[in-house]
Amino acid sequence: MGMLHNLADLLKIKKDKMTILVLGLNNSGKSTIVNHFKKSNEQSAIMVPTVGFEQQQFYSMGVTIKAIDMSGATRYRNLWETRFKTCQGIIYVIDSSDYMRFVVVKDELEALLQHPDLMNRNIPILFYGNKSDCEDALSSVKIAAALGLENIKEKPWHICSSNAVSGEGLEEGVQWLVQHIRYAMLNSHDGAKLKAHSKNK
Amino acid sequence: MATSGTTAPNWLNVDTEDEMPKLTTLSSCMALSDVQCDGYVRLLAADISLEDDEPSARLKVFRGLRLKQEQLLPGIPAAIESLYIDETEPKTPVIAVAIAESVLFFRHMKPYFKFTIPALEVDDLELEVWRQLPVMPTKRDALLDSLRNLEHAKLSRKSQKLLQLSEEERESFISTHADSPVGRHGNIVAMCCLKRVSSDANPPSHLVLATDTGDILILEPQGFNLVYQARTCAYETTPSLLSVQGTFETDFSILVGTRNGGVYLLRKSTNEGHGQEVFKISSPLTGLLMLPIDQTIVVTTMEHFYQCYSKRGKLLYQVQLNALPVCILSLTLSHFGITLLAIALQGGVVQFYLQRYLVDEFVVSSTVAAMLYGRMGMEDHVLTLVTQENQMFVKILRRLARFEPKSSALSLASKTAAGRKKNGDVSILDKPKKSSIFVEQAVREKQHAKATYGSFQVELWRLRHTAARATIDAINSSETSISGDLTHAPVKLAAEVCGTGPAFRLYLTVQNLSSFKMASNLVVLLHADRRHYTIQQSMARLPSVLPGVPLRVDFEVVAVLDPIDKLPPATLTLDNAQIRVMLLKSGQAKPLIAAAVSMPQSEAAF
Repeated sequence: MGMLHNLADLLKIKKDKMTILVLGLNNSGKSTIVNHFKKSNEQSAIMVPTVGFEQQQFYSMGVTIKAIDMSGATRYRNLWETRFKTCQGIIYVIDSSDYMRFVVVKDELEALLQHPDLMNRNIPILFYGNKSDCEDALSSVKIAAALGLENIKEKPWHICSSNAVSGEGLEEGVQWLVQHIRYAMLNSHDGAKLKAHSKNK
Repeated sequence: MATSGTTAPNWLNVDTEDEMPKLTTLSSCMALSDVQCDGYVRLLAADISLEDDEPSARLKVFRGLRLKQEQLLPGIPAAIESLYIDETEPKTPVIAVAIAESVLFFRHMKPYFKFTIPALEVDDLELEVWRQLPVMPTKRDALLDSLRNLEHAKLSRKSQKLLQLSEEERESFISTHADSPVGRHGNIVAMCCLKRVSSDANPPSHLVLATDTGDILILEPQGFNLVYQARTCAYETTPSLLSVQGTFETDFSILVGTRNGGVYLLRKSTNEGHGQEVFKISSPLTGLLMLPIDQTIVVTTMEHFYQCYSKRGKLLYQVQLNALPVCILSLTLSHFGITLLAIALQGGVVQFYLQRYLVDEFVVSSTVAAMLYGRMGMEDHVLTLVTQENQMFVKILRRLARFEPKSSALSLASKTAAGRKKNGDVSILDKPKKSSIFVEQAVREKQHAKATYGSFQVELWRLRHTAARATIDAINSSETSISGDLTHAPVKLAAEVCGTGPAFRLYLTVQNLSSFKMASNLVVLLHADRRHYTIQQSMARLPSVLPGVPLRVDFEVVAVLDPIDKLPPATLTLDNAQIRVMLLKSGQAKPLIAAAVSMPQSEAAF
C-alpha cells in the first residue's frame, strides 16, 4: 500500500511543475544558465543584464521546471525574498573567477539562509561554480571552503563547477536538484500523513 | 565611542587565500579605470619605492586583487587620473599621470602623449652666466657666485644641479649641458578631472593642474591646449590640495588648499585672474574636499579638527577628532541619497561622518595612508585602503548597510558643541541672518521715527474704523426676528422683559421654524452700553433646537443707577434704552438674527 502511494506521489510530481529560483550576483551567469536549458529554437544569442526578474520554463528529467531568473544587481536583490515562499529549490550561481566578491556572495547567502520563509523548510540548494573555463577560476572545493558551505546543516546542498556558455556541468547539477526536490516533497507528504495518522489515534 | 559591534558591520572585508598585494601610494596616485574597455573596472596605482638609492615608481594595474600589469614610470607621479577624452564608441579611458612638469597620457596602457606645461621666464643674468660658462673657464667661480646670489628656487633645474655638484664634476656637466636650453618649469603638484558637460555615463573631461608656482591650468586633452589659466592668489604661494566641482561648459569652481593653510576659490569667471581667499587657518591642512551636494568645503587640520565651511568662508561646524586625520574621502551613496565623509585617523581608525555626525567606523591594522572609493570590478561600492605599512585592504559596502547617527555620536556632537561655546568661539553661534532689506528698514525707521509712528497710528485708526463699519453693517443687515439664511434652518427669536427695575429679567424664546432640520451650534450674545446696564452673563451657548419645540433662556439685566441720588444716569434716554440681542452660529462671522430690545424705564431702588 505504502509503495503504491509513493509511486502515485511520484507520478503526480511528474505531472507537477517545480518552481526553482535562480539567484546569484550580477554577471555571474544566471540568465546564460537558464538560457542553456531552453529548447534550442528558443535560446537567445545575446545576454543582457536582467532587470527585475524573468520567468522561463523548460523540461528536464521528466519534469517541467519553472525557473525564476532573478536579477543580481544590487538594487534588485531585495526582490529575491519575495519569491522564497513559493519556490521548491534554489540554484545559486557563483562567478568562480570573481573571488573579490566572494564576501558579498557569502553575505547574501547568509541573509538567504536566515530568512524566515526558508529557515525551517527543507529546500535543496544547488551551487554552480560558473565560468570554470576562466583562467582565474577556483575549483568547486575551494569555493565551498571560501563560502563556508559545510556549515549548512539543515538543507541539502550540492556544488558543481559549470560553464554556462558550453553547457558543461549544468545537467549534472539539475539532476541532483530535481532528485532532491522529489525527496523533499515525499518527506513532507509522509510527514503530513504521519501527523494525520497520529491525530486519528 | 559607539562601534558597529552590536549590529552587522556595514563593510564586508575582502580577503583572499593568497597574500594581499603590497602597495606604497597616496590617495592621489590611485584611480579606478575600465582600461580594457570590458566593463570590468580595474584598480590603478602608482607603487612608489623609496627604498632604493634612486626613488622610482611603477604603475600597477590590478584586476580584482590580482596584479595584472605593471609599467615603470619615468619619475614619481604627483597624481593619476582616469578620464575619457571624447564621445566616440567604444569609450576608451585615457590614463593621465602627472610627473614633475609634464602629464603623460596612456591609452590601453601604452604611452600615447606627453604634455609639458609652458616654461616660466628665466632670469637674464642666469642666461648670461650660461652663455659665458663654457667659453670662460677662468671666470667660473665668479659666475657661480653670481648664480648663488640669485634666489635658488627661481633658478632653472640645470643651474640648481650645477651648484649641487662637486668641483671635479662641474667641468664635464658644463660641457655636456652647454647648449641645452635654460628653461624653468613649475612642477605639477595636484591634478583633478573636470567634466566637460554634465552627463551620467562617463562624460569627456578636462584636466585641472596645479603647479608649485601657484598656477592653475585646465588642459583640454583632445588637442592638448590650455583652455583656462589662473593664479591661486595675487602673491606667490604653493598649492598642495585641489578639489573641483561643476562642469567646464556651464560653471565650475576649483578649490585650492596651499601649504600655508590658505584655501582659495577659483571660478570660471576668474580665467586669467586670480582666486579669492575663502579662509585661512593657522595649522596646515591634511585634507580638503568640496562636497558635491551642498557645496560646502570640508577640511581636516593638523590640530585634529574636522571643519566644514561655506563657500563664503563661514565656519558651519567643526568636530574634534581623537587622533590626527591623515586623509579624507567623500563617498556618494546615490541609492541612499547621501554623501558620507570618510576620515582616516592615525592609528588605523577610519570614521564615517554624515555631516557632523559619526555614523560608522572601523579599525584596520595600521594608519591608512590612501583611500579610494568607487566602482571596482563588478561591484559599485568598493572602498580600497592602503596603510602606511603598505598593506592593501578592500571593503565592499553591504547591500543592507545603514548609516544613521548613533545616539552616543549625537550626544558627542552636542558635547563638542558645548565645548566649543566654552572656548568662546562665538562665530559658530546660531544667529538669525540679517537680510539687507531688514537692515535698510531699520535705518529708515531710525531716521524717520516720528513720521513712521504717525502713519502707523493713522492706519490703525483707519483699520478700526473699517472694522466698526463692517460690524454695524453685519448687524443691521440681519435686523429681523426670523433668520433669512437659506442654508440653515430658519430660526425665530422673541424677547420679553419682566420686572420693574433696577433688576430685570430678559426672556428669550428661540424657535426652530423648519420641519426637519435641526438648528445647532447657536450662541446668544447680549450687548448693551455698560454705562446703562450691567449684564452678568452676556453670552449663552444654546443646545440644539429641535423643530417646533421652543427654547426659553433668561438673562439678568441690572440697570445702572447713580449711587447718590439713586436715579438712572442722565445719558440714558428712551431712544438708547436698548439691549442688542444677537443670535450667532458658531464659525460664522455674520449673526443670524440681530434684534434690539427696548428696556422699560427702571424704578429707582430704595
